[in-house]
Amino acid sequence: MISVNNVRAGYGDGPDILQGINLNAAGGEIVTILGPNGCGKSTLLKCIAGFVRPRGGAVEMEGCDVSAVPVHDKIRHHLMGFVPQTDNVFSTLSVADNIMLGARYMPAAERNARYAELMAQYPSLASKQERKASALSGGERQILSLARALISKPRVLLLDEPSAGLSPMMMHEVFAAIAEIRDRTGMCIVTVEQNAFEALGVADRAYVLSLGKVAIEGRAADLLADPAMRHLYLGGKPPVVESRPPFAAVN
Amino acid sequence: MVQFVVDVLIRAVDLALIAIGLSSVYSLIRFPNVALVQYATTGALLALGLQMAGLPLVVAAIVACALVGIIAVVLNVVVFERLLRAGSAIAMIGSLALSMVFSAIFLVTAGPRPKRFELEINPPLRFLGARLTEHQLISVGISVLAIAVFALILFRTDLGRCMRATATNSVLASATGIDTRKVTNTVVFLSGVMAGLGGIGLSVKGEMSAQLGLDMLLPVFAAAIVGGLGNALGAAVGAVVIAAAETMVTNVNFGPLFGETVLFIPAAYATAASFLLLVVVLLIKPYGLFVAEVKRG
Ligand SMILES: Nc1ncnc2c1ncn2[C@@H]1O[C@H](COP(=O)(O)OP(=O)(O)O)[C@@H](O)[C@H]1O
Ligand SMILES: [Mg+2]
Repeated sequence: MISVNNVRAGYGDGPDILQGINLNAAGGEIVTILGPNGCGKSTLLKCIAGFVRPRGGAVEMEGCDVSAVPVHDKIRHHLMGFVPQTDNVFSTLSVADNIMLGARYMPAAERNARYAELMAQYPSLASKQERKASALSGGERQILSLARALISKPRVLLLDEPSAGLSPMMMHEVFAAIAEIRDRTGMCIVTVEQNAFEALGVADRAYVLSLGKVAIEGRAADLLADPAMRHLYLGGKPPVVESRPPFAAVN
Repeated sequence: MVQFVVDVLIRAVDLALIAIGLSSVYSLIRFPNVALVQYATTGALLALGLQMAGLPLVVAAIVACALVGIIAVVLNVVVFERLLRAGSAIAMIGSLALSMVFSAIFLVTAGPRPKRFELEINPPLRFLGARLTEHQLISVGISVLAIAVFALILFRTDLGRCMRATATNSVLASATGIDTRKVTNTVVFLSGVMAGLGGIGLSVKGEMSAQLGLDMLLPVFAAAIVGGLGNALGAAVGAVVIAAAETMVTNVNFGPLFGETVLFIPAAYATAASFLLLVVVLLIKPYGLFVAEVKRG
């Protein structure tokens, strides 16, 4: 579905933030990008989405090089949904308007049907359709931004830190929603995460970035057991989260 | 009093046309384009040239405004999009340099001497004791109409919705499938059309010189900043405030205040009024009287 081949990227005339990244993600799997703050996770996601043009290498979706395809074209062709890390809803617009803004280009009948489906899917939004997005809690905003990205039924979903700043309970709810999307739609989902061990609980595979390169990659279950991961994230101490039940069981 | 209102309105509408364009484009690309005031002169000179070529003034004005809009888009794509990659400060300096190029072109093509449109001279109309000429009335009417149309576009059309979304958060706007580059260039086109119309309006009511645009620089920026840079309708209100201050300074008899019969401040100080007002507003409300309606969050 997504194939990132030896991508180098940076901003302006600054240094390469990504120094030859390779990454693959298939339909029906959640791939998560991990790494310390400022290591280039968001840059990689923006590169995949098309906000940042690679300086070298290529980003392919469904076998086509999409490095030069504008973001809005990928959105309109139902290829991709994207949720940025911060400011991911229009706070002055209502919940309904936020979602509908993501579907302006769709035929009215299809748009309305999709909207109704989403409202049935996410009851926490359905009860607040006319509420301004600024009046929502952090978790509700994440769900709203997710719903906005989903209205076009994209084949690839890119999420930048969907769990950032959420309480553990809300975090589980958001992760459960993402896993549910994967299981129901078979979408190819790529997330960026700070909370490594939480994220590995829901992801199928993961890439850990360090100094502009992929330092570790593998199946989430293997990474959870990998001492190198523990060293990177917890200074060698065993992760506390491991004793928790998997997220699929939470909901 | 009515005369004062009429004078303010005559001054404010053209100021508003340019300032609204400045503010709208700023809201999308985050740099104030100094060259916009030169688009006003370009519009006036093009309209004059077309009139001299035999077109009726109205047709000449429409064609000139459309041409200015196109010039604005071409310059945005060829010059400003590139400069913006290096940052908004560079883009603003670039727009200043471009303004100087415009000035040179105006001097070469139109010469240093002021010009006028060919207009029939009719006796001024009287309205509740205030005097204004037919041309002033028509010009103000067209400008007000243009502002109203722009407001309708902004608040009642899909383009307006896309424009406000892009101004608020361009990454999120792209992520909702909005072609932010197309939206920006459409607004740049409209800003060029409005600036051109403003320049023509100013020239219909007075003289047209190569200096026309640069003379408007301070009042236009003052109006846009007083209205809260990035807030299109704020710029319209800012234009009224600045026009009122200018008119007050130049048209009010300050004689009685100082025990004299007549004491007028020379018209050359009108600009000083907008400057003074700008400084005062900035000191009290650094982000203008109206915060940009679109805020991140
Ligand atoms: N728009 C930008 N312009 C210039 N540098 C940026 C920009 N965005 C991010 N950076 C820099 O790129 C590096 C990686 O940032 P980012 O990809 O956001 O990291 P992460 O998401 O992993 O925390 C950081 O050093 C950051 O300062
Ligand atoms: Mg980030």
